[in-house]
Amino acid sequence: MHSAVALTPRVADIPAIQEPLLNVSDLSLRRGKAVVLDGVSLALRPGETLGLIGESGAGKSTLALALIGLLRAPEVQLDGSMRFRDTELTQLREADYRRLRGNKIGLIFQDATAALNPCFTVGAQIAEPLKRHLRLSRWARRERAAELMHSVGIPEPRMRLDAYPHELSGGMQQRVMIAVALACNPELLLADEPTSALDVTIQAQIMELILDRVRALNSSAIFVLHDLALGAQVCDRIAVMYAGQIVEEGPSEHVLAAPLHPYTQGLKSCVVELGSRRLVPIPGQIPPLNAMPGGCRFAPRCPKAKTICSEQRPQAETRDGRQVACWFID
Amino acid sequence: MPNPIFSLLDVERSYELRGSGWFRAPSRQLKALDGVRLEVQRGDTLALVGESGSGKSTLIRLMLGLEPASDGRVLYGQRDLAQLDAEAKKRFAREVAFIYQNARGSMNPRMRIEDILAEPIRLHQLCVEREIPARLESLLLRVGLPAGLLQRFPSELSGGQIRRIAIARALASEPEVIMADESVAGLDVSVQAQVLNLLRDLCRESGITLVFITHDLGVASYLCEKIAVLYLGRIVEQGPTDAILNTPRHPYTRALLQAFPRFDMPLKASLSGEIPSPVNLPKGCRFAGRCPQVQAACRETDPALTALDAGRQVACLFPVAIA
Amino acid sequence: MTEALNVTALTRESQWRRRLLQPMLRQRSAMVGLAIIAIYIFAAVFAPWLATHDPTAQDLMASLQGPSAAHWLGTDSYGQDLYSRLLYGAQLALIIGFASVALGLAVGVAIGLAAGLMGGRTEWVLMRIVDGLLAFPELILAMAFMAVLGLGTENVVYALALSFVGPFARMTRGDVLQVKSQPYIEAARMMGVPTAAIIWRHVLPNVVSPILVQAGMRISIAILLESGLSFLGIGVVPPTPDWGLMIAEGRGFITMAPWISGVPGVALAILLVALNLLGDGLRDAFDPTTQKDA
Repeated sequence: MHSAVALTPRVADIPAIQEPLLNVSDLSLRRGKAVVLDGVSLALRPGETLGLIGESGAGKSTLALALIGLLRAPEVQLDGSMRFRDTELTQLREADYRRLRGNKIGLIFQDATAALNPCFTVGAQIAEPLKRHLRLSRWARRERAAELMHSVGIPEPRMRLDAYPHELSGGMQQRVMIAVALACNPELLLADEPTSALDVTIQAQIMELILDRVRALNSSAIFVLHDLALGAQVCDRIAVMYAGQIVEEGPSEHVLAAPLHPYTQGLKSCVVELGSRRLVPIPGQIPPLNAMPGGCRFAPRCPKAKTICSEQRPQAETRDGRQVACWFID
Repeated sequence: MPNPIFSLLDVERSYELRGSGWFRAPSRQLKALDGVRLEVQRGDTLALVGESGSGKSTLIRLMLGLEPASDGRVLYGQRDLAQLDAEAKKRFAREVAFIYQNARGSMNPRMRIEDILAEPIRLHQLCVEREIPARLESLLLRVGLPAGLLQRFPSELSGGQIRRIAIARALASEPEVIMADESVAGLDVSVQAQVLNLLRDLCRESGITLVFITHDLGVASYLCEKIAVLYLGRIVEQGPTDAILNTPRHPYTRALLQAFPRFDMPLKASLSGEIPSPVNLPKGCRFAGRCPQVQAACRETDPALTALDAGRQVACLFPVAIA
Repeated sequence: MTEALNVTALTRESQWRRRLLQPMLRQRSAMVGLAIIAIYIFAAVFAPWLATHDPTAQDLMASLQGPSAAHWLGTDSYGQDLYSRLLYGAQLALIIGFASVALGLAVGVAIGLAAGLMGGRTEWVLMRIVDGLLAFPELILAMAFMAVLGLGTENVVYALALSFVGPFARMTRGDVLQVKSQPYIEAARMMGVPTAAIIWRHVLPNVVSPILVQAGMRISIAILLESGLSFLGIGVVPPTPDWGLMIAEGRGFITMAPWISGVPGVALAILLVALNLLGDGLRDAFDPTTQKDA
């Protein structure tokens, strides 16, 4: 049976003074001349879940890749700072990053079929981080792998340890990947569209499972999502990204229930909900990176845009318990 | 009911799975569709909703005549699809258009958009050659694209543009029925909203019959006035969209609704387990293994699709009570 | 909607340029290959005017001479002028290369199309024949055909063409099968497009470019094989000016007159490299996945 997860917002429970687990400040990422991420600032406290939301091309996956050190110099140019606990991630060497990934930072990808190696049994793949980071013995690894598989809801874990990924369904593969990600009890879990390839009933199961495990381990999680409603359901905080910038960031019940930034408002009016209602699409599309408008990047598509919007970039302001970057917040 | 445009009479589609190995294990049957009864009236907008493995794609392929039914009959108007003569086949090809899920893949990459769109017009001789350019421009206008795209190749268009072209091509043959397979899946929300609005307006304005398959109940409810929910090759519930959304009677429909992400409700994994394999189905109700309110009788008796009230049918021994 | 308002109507010519010519021109190494091939073709076409001697005129008094003013690239053991023989040799190499590939292509593509489109028993029979042809390395197969047909330039063309039928047929069939399974073929069928039109409009244009690219690559193989046959003495008959023959002939004098084998050898090597550079460039230019810049 599935376990019901209490979804009362927990932001209030967390003392505000607590040190952030992850602190990104003024992070910019350049690829050649194109500014892919522009002045991104974020703070994630222990136990919090954050959703990165936006259209494709908004830079959410780029931000996630930069965080885990898969996008770094010399391929791209990184400015600003990303602090994870006491570690400055932008200065980290690859060898140190490797000690972090899969250990302190767990990763879940969109496509489990592609992320799992088809040549190894799922048991071996779950055991891999246990061997590398925790240096467990062969026997202990197998025991722990079976335990992990049980904890992610895979029936008959001992029998499935020796199964190959292709012998499992898409939902089961995703569960295996969650087991791999959680193997070393990470402090931060990074999930890039973990359920967008799955059916809606399986999506609910998987999301519930991830939240359940994250809470059990008292870890934090960052979800990259395109589904706003799902973001409202699983995230404590939401950061809405547009063209490489965060336009609105705050507690999800505020940001998504009453969005302030015109882009967040536009996104929300595009979401199909149950029960008919007219969808209002945002006109146009994200401009290409080599033709970014000066000033507010959303200005060309914004219904509220005035002259100042295309001339000066709005700074993030605190309003109603969140950060909004817009000249005309009502 | 006044003359339905499509009638499916106890349609079944099974595939033989040949045993492998030296000693040829006995072959097994995979039943993709089993006893599907469905009527589509002229002007209907019907959504076939189900998870992957529910048989919705097989169903639409059968209705398009791309695959034969193993048993039962698919009628288009009064005539059996399997027995159309050459003349009738040609008419069927013009009157029923299909929009592929993979819109880009459904277009010849070496043809220009103008040739792709003109192909059905030339084929069915819908207008004289010199009127074609004007015709193509009005088609593009209808789907909200500039005429400049006519000279482009499919690979040069964005995901949203290519879906509009696919819709334009479907409209080119002046069809009576449009069938579409997940035509908005994988698009960004703002582009998805544009394409959904376009499809909805086209159907409302021109009275085209629409059969839309999707796994997304939200999309289904936005586009269509009727919904049929499929599970493991069977229709388990069908009826008007409002009725299905407000008072789902089949536990599976209810579970689908509960799992749909919403702003105002917490996440709820409404179903445990996964859709079982359609090989060697258990006796009794197919949903019994996952049903939250399963009873002993469900594992014995296979429920038939029965009418509840006007236009509403459900295949469950113990339908969910109306709250 | 606004996303496409800046689209200008492009004429067919500029489209063609944008899709094929420009990607082509962007392949720098392919352009180098093309330039070298152009020089070879020029040399072959104008051989009668460029040559300083009759390529088959023997002058035993002037045999085994190194490069000099009278014989720019020296002479061989019969006193034939190597420079002139080289030019006429280019003519022969290119003619045999192109002719044998063209012939092999025509027959192979026909078989491949028939097999891929008809399927069933026809396909089975045709592909078993092709398997038989493919069972032998090209050189061995060509040698066997030469043994049956006898020596001579024409026969070299036939033998090489025959040895190319197998690869072309197999490749064409593979491409046809792959294209046949594409959704756009099914979409066309569903719209009621007649079978002949589907083959002509939808199948052929999508299999043609990989086949042409392959043909370009095969020309270099053909020239190499032809030289190999002549070198082994089962190709072109002496004293026809042929690079393979020239290399074979110089073999005995390799220590005292290395230029006899060296001159045609280097010419052959440069041509093969150029052909391969061009072939690679063509492949990249035709490949739609490299045209993402649009």
